[in-house]
Amino acid sequence: MAGNRMLTLVRLFALQSLALGALALTVALVTGSAHIYAVAILTVVIKGMIIPWMLLYVMRQIKVDREVEPVVSIPMSLLLCGGLTVVAFYLTQPIIFVGGAIDTITKNCLAISLAVVFIGFFTMISRKKAITQIMGLLTMENGLFLAAISVTYGMPLIVELGIFFDILVAVLIMGLFAFRINKTFASVDTTILRRLRD
Amino acid sequence: MYGQDLFPLLISASLGGALLSIVTKRWEQACRAISFTAAAVVSLIGLVIALEVLLVGGQVAFTIPTSVAALGHFTFVVDRLSAFFMLAISSLGLCVSIYSIGYTREYAGRYSPATMGSLFSIFLLSLFLVVTASNAVLFLIMWETMSLSSYLLVVYESRNRESVSSGLLYVVMTHLGTALITVAFIIMWLHTPGEHSFDFSAFRELSAGALPEAARAAAFLLLLVGFGTKAGLVPLHVWLPQAHPAAPSNISAMMSGVMVKTAVYMLIRCYFDFLGVTDSWWGLVVLLVASVSALVGVLYALMEEDIKRALAYSTVENVGLIFIGLGAAMVFQSYYLADPAANAHLADLAALALIAVLFHTLAHSLFKGLLFMGAGAVMYATHTRDLEEMGGLAKRMRWTGILFFIGALSISAIPPFSGFVGEWLMFQSLLLTQNINDPMVNVLLPVAVAVLALTGALAAACFVRVFGATFLARPRSKHAAEAVEVPRTMLTGMGIAAGASVLLGILSVFIVPVIDSVTSSVLGVSIASKLVNGLVLMPPAGEFSSMSPVIIGALLLFAVPFAYFATRDLGGRRPVEKGDTWDCGTPLSSRTEYSAAGFSNPINRIFRSIYRPHTEVRTEYTSSTLIKRKISFSSTIEPVFERYLYAPVAALVIALARRVGVIQKGSIQAYLAYIFVILLVLLVVFR
Repeated sequence: MAGNRMLTLVRLFALQSLALGALALTVALVTGSAHIYAVAILTVVIKGMIIPWMLLYVMRQIKVDREVEPVVSIPMSLLLCGGLTVVAFYLTQPIIFVGGAIDTITKNCLAISLAVVFIGFFTMISRKKAITQIMGLLTMENGLFLAAISVTYGMPLIVELGIFFDILVAVLIMGLFAFRINKTFASVDTTILRRLRD
Repeated sequence: MYGQDLFPLLISASLGGALLSIVTKRWEQACRAISFTAAAVVSLIGLVIALEVLLVGGQVAFTIPTSVAALGHFTFVVDRLSAFFMLAISSLGLCVSIYSIGYTREYAGRYSPATMGSLFSIFLLSLFLVVTASNAVLFLIMWETMSLSSYLLVVYESRNRESVSSGLLYVVMTHLGTALITVAFIIMWLHTPGEHSFDFSAFRELSAGALPEAARAAAFLLLLVGFGTKAGLVPLHVWLPQAHPAAPSNISAMMSGVMVKTAVYMLIRCYFDFLGVTDSWWGLVVLLVASVSALVGVLYALMEEDIKRALAYSTVENVGLIFIGLGAAMVFQSYYLADPAANAHLADLAALALIAVLFHTLAHSLFKGLLFMGAGAVMYATHTRDLEEMGGLAKRMRWTGILFFIGALSISAIPPFSGFVGEWLMFQSLLLTQNINDPMVNVLLPVAVAVLALTGALAAACFVRVFGATFLARPRSKHAAEAVEVPRTMLTGMGIAAGASVLLGILSVFIVPVIDSVTSSVLGVSIASKLVNGLVLMPPAGEFSSMSPVIIGALLLFAVPFAYFATRDLGGRRPVEKGDTWDCGTPLSSRTEYSAAGFSNPINRIFRSIYRPHTEVRTEYTSSTLIKRKISFSSTIEPVFERYLYAPVAALVIALARRVGVIQKGSIQAYLAYIFVILLVLLVVFR
């Protein structure tokens, strides 16, 4: 949230995805199930490399400004994100600590994943550019993925593959939309879309 | 018993007809003939089923299998009450189907005959199924089918802006009504004894007092408003004078003739059969609303310059009359049920009022159908709906004129036509109320009688005006002067309706016992033996008055030619001299005729507090003030209900919508924030 440069944002996303891949790898080592290895590798390749590369490509093509242009100021965003993280821990507390509802080694990651979802959502709300909104959505997806892998040791492989494919296509389409918005309004500032009302 | 086998045939024949008209849509001529012949056949099948149940007795039942057990059995049952309404639907359906073969030529090349044909078949079928459905959910499905198919038919002239906006008003109002009906059914369903059931057989057990008082009252009011919307009770009538005229005339005939009556059917069924009429205020409420409807309807009909709108307002009036009878029947029934031993004679009166309701329902569906078909024929020939542009059509369209005249006589309650018998029966039932000791009843019923009398007189004036302005004198426009007689199929359709309307009146002594068998199936009291004495009709409570339409008819049959020959021959032939009318030196033209607006102006003045007329006379002078170049006159009446009831409500809704519209910011971030906040709140609340 603190980054005010687009490039930093994309790099941070790549880093987050790599960390996610590392976590998946750890889970795979502990459980020893083959398909989580595959998931870990896919995460690293697709989320850690292909998607950041595609985003950078789109940004180069439409010559987007380096500035992130927040709606909410950066110190305020940081405070709010801290608050959201607290809320996430507060919300997941009964699930994590009461009873043996979930019994995995990574169960504490649930709170973190919820916080990531919240922060991704908040990114979408508080930043103006279409590209940052794509980033927010991807962050949310990462959060969901984290929740899935940490609570249930991953979904069946076919579902995972579907999700990866989904996110890849989504980024493609959203990149395309960013192109179109840029072409029509000569900017990717979504506040201009306000004119479409009524 | 053929009915049992004929009912599935009825359904498959109309669906087949709808399909055939779509298949043959390439060949317009054939498509028209095939689809409406199929509709006529369907009507005939319906007629056979109805007559069999009415005359032979018994029931026809047909079940379609359902997979959802909770909704009950999807059964169609034709009992006597259903059969009576099927009779009205099928007889008018037959006339209109034949009429439509010729009438739809009007739209040749402009609008698809297949659309009209298939929708008409579905509409007709849904009418039959609405009055036979024996399950609340099934009924609502059929009711919606009926509403939607009629809506699509109203907007048939889809390139006509007026039709489309009228259709929109109609569909909004009718859905409002349906929503209220649904709520009423759910209230009744919640209180069905034992396992909750939507079957009417379970609803029937409600009358044993299973419903708490508040729920009963709520159900009564919801049903009255819900069905009143469809029937066109004031102030829920606003859609009716818009939508009925906007539809093609054959559809207007079906809508005004029978569709509004399905509401009467279901109200009789719900009030007498399901809920049981034990509170006297129910009847009084109905009576009050109905009296206002009758009066308002006829008053607006008198001022209307559009022939079909005048007829539509007259439907509002006639529905008012029917509901006056219904209200009276409910009042009598409630007092009878309060003390069956002491008030046995009131049961007779309730039956009499209900007979009047059913008789007038049947009569009105025939003659209003006839009048709408006549108006359609006039429009077919002149391409206008404005009364001021017609005139002189009696010479150019002789048969249409005669048939329309029969319809006008019937609706004006001239003996021995059918309208008279219905209103006479209604008067009898209302006049016999001195036996009830309740000040409210004793005040309201005489008011209803007065309204009935006033309405009758005004209705007669209204149809003198409509008939005179349309058919008499000289043509007032080029369209009217060039009019020619309509195709034979149209005349046949109108002819059957006119014949049935006349016979219904003259042979009413034979028809009333049949209707009595219907009301006795509802009320459990048969009064045919008291009501019909040979060829004379008399009310059941003593020597109050009696009347025989057959004898009046016979007398008229004899008296009219007699009077004609007597005046011609008895006084000896007088010398006849032909010459011009004295015209003050101005040549007489169609512009000096008595216009429709002129005819109704005295009534406009008398009732100006209701109409609030706005008249404007504009004169253009030449150089001298004595010589006028042009005088133009315009007169409008204020639409009271639209302006003082609907406009404030609409304004309120729009203001509320504006308030809510503030949250529509147009910015993605704001929308996302709404979702985010709601998500957070939900997560915290349901932690």
